[in-house]
Amino acid sequence: MMELFLFVIFAVVFLASIYLFVRPRARVEGSALDVLRAREDLSVLQSGLLPAEIVERIFAKADYEFLLAESTKEVQELFLAERKRLALLWAGYLLQRIRNLQQFHLGSARFYSRLRLGTEIRLASEFFSLLWFCRALQFVIYLRGPYAAPRMAGRVAAAAATVCATSEEVMNFLKPAQAGGLAKESARKLSVM
Amino acid sequence: MKNVLKRTDVLEAAEDLRRRTLASITRPLDRLIYLASTRDYNTGFYYHDGLAARYPEEAVCEALADCHREAFQELVGASLEQLIGQMNSYMISSRTAPSDFIATWKKLEPYRVAVPLDTDELTGEFLFSNFKIALAILEARLHTPQPAVPDAWQPQLPGR
Repeated sequence: MMELFLFVIFAVVFLASIYLFVRPRARVEGSALDVLRAREDLSVLQSGLLPAEIVERIFAKADYEFLLAESTKEVQELFLAERKRLALLWAGYLLQRIRNLQQFHLGSARFYSRLRLGTEIRLASEFFSLLWFCRALQFVIYLRGPYAAPRMAGRVAAAAATVCATSEEVMNFLKPAQAGGLAKESARKLSVM
Repeated sequence: MKNVLKRTDVLEAAEDLRRRTLASITRPLDRLIYLASTRDYNTGFYYHDGLAARYPEEAVCEALADCHREAFQELVGASLEQLIGQMNSYMISSRTAPSDFIATWKKLEPYRVAVPLDTDELTGEFLFSNFKIALAILEARLHTPQPAVPDAWQPQLPGR
């Protein structure tokens, strides 16, 4: 009886997973809106999260060295807590934007860009290693503070910049003049469906 | 063509602002606070009567916003040591008792409303965090007993 019960539960979970995997999406994949959102993610990454000035300022030790000579232990602790919070915030934002881009490439990009298999594999492996690095960095910062892995932070930023460049290359079909065309194409798909 | 003309207006208004008003405000922190004070809290638009007499209102608004962003970027780029120096000078120039100034800034966090409207969250948080630390340092300095200086001027009491 117990075995039958377990078997039924297993079957239900299995079928539910298959349904979730193959269910029809509410929105049309490859819509112009997705492309614009991906463009926004790319822009935030390139202009807000990856510029060397902001990454260096968060992970640089110069301010901490000034504090070591200047202030009390409480202020130093406050500083380390604040820098840890900022470093985790940076890594969190990065992870979120990279995940969005990955979702775009998994779902929508292939509709328009007609990617070559080689580019797809390269992009997939870059996303995979970057997300892994990002999570590892978050873990190290969480455990050992903001100055535990400055090189790792630099490598994550460099890897993210590479992914952005590849992603931009893939999205180079998106030009202002074409955005309307994409919207029309999406509308046409919607009307066909 | 209209856009180019409008942009020229903005550049001229910004230059005018830098040459006249901002030239006398040397510290980026003071400039940030001054420029934020020219912005309407409800609409986010900037106003400046003197400039509005010479340039179109739109150009004035954009010029003030540009200068505001400049001051913000300067402050973000400043080291913690420089920021503490600027805050200390600002505190002295405000003619408020340091303990009152620090208590008010810690409580109200006025710097949060002094940043440009289009500031990205991470950069904003970075500057707020530096302000918080700078205030903690200024407060610690306030409570640190100053090295004793012999009171040479004090008259000696008879019999001592």
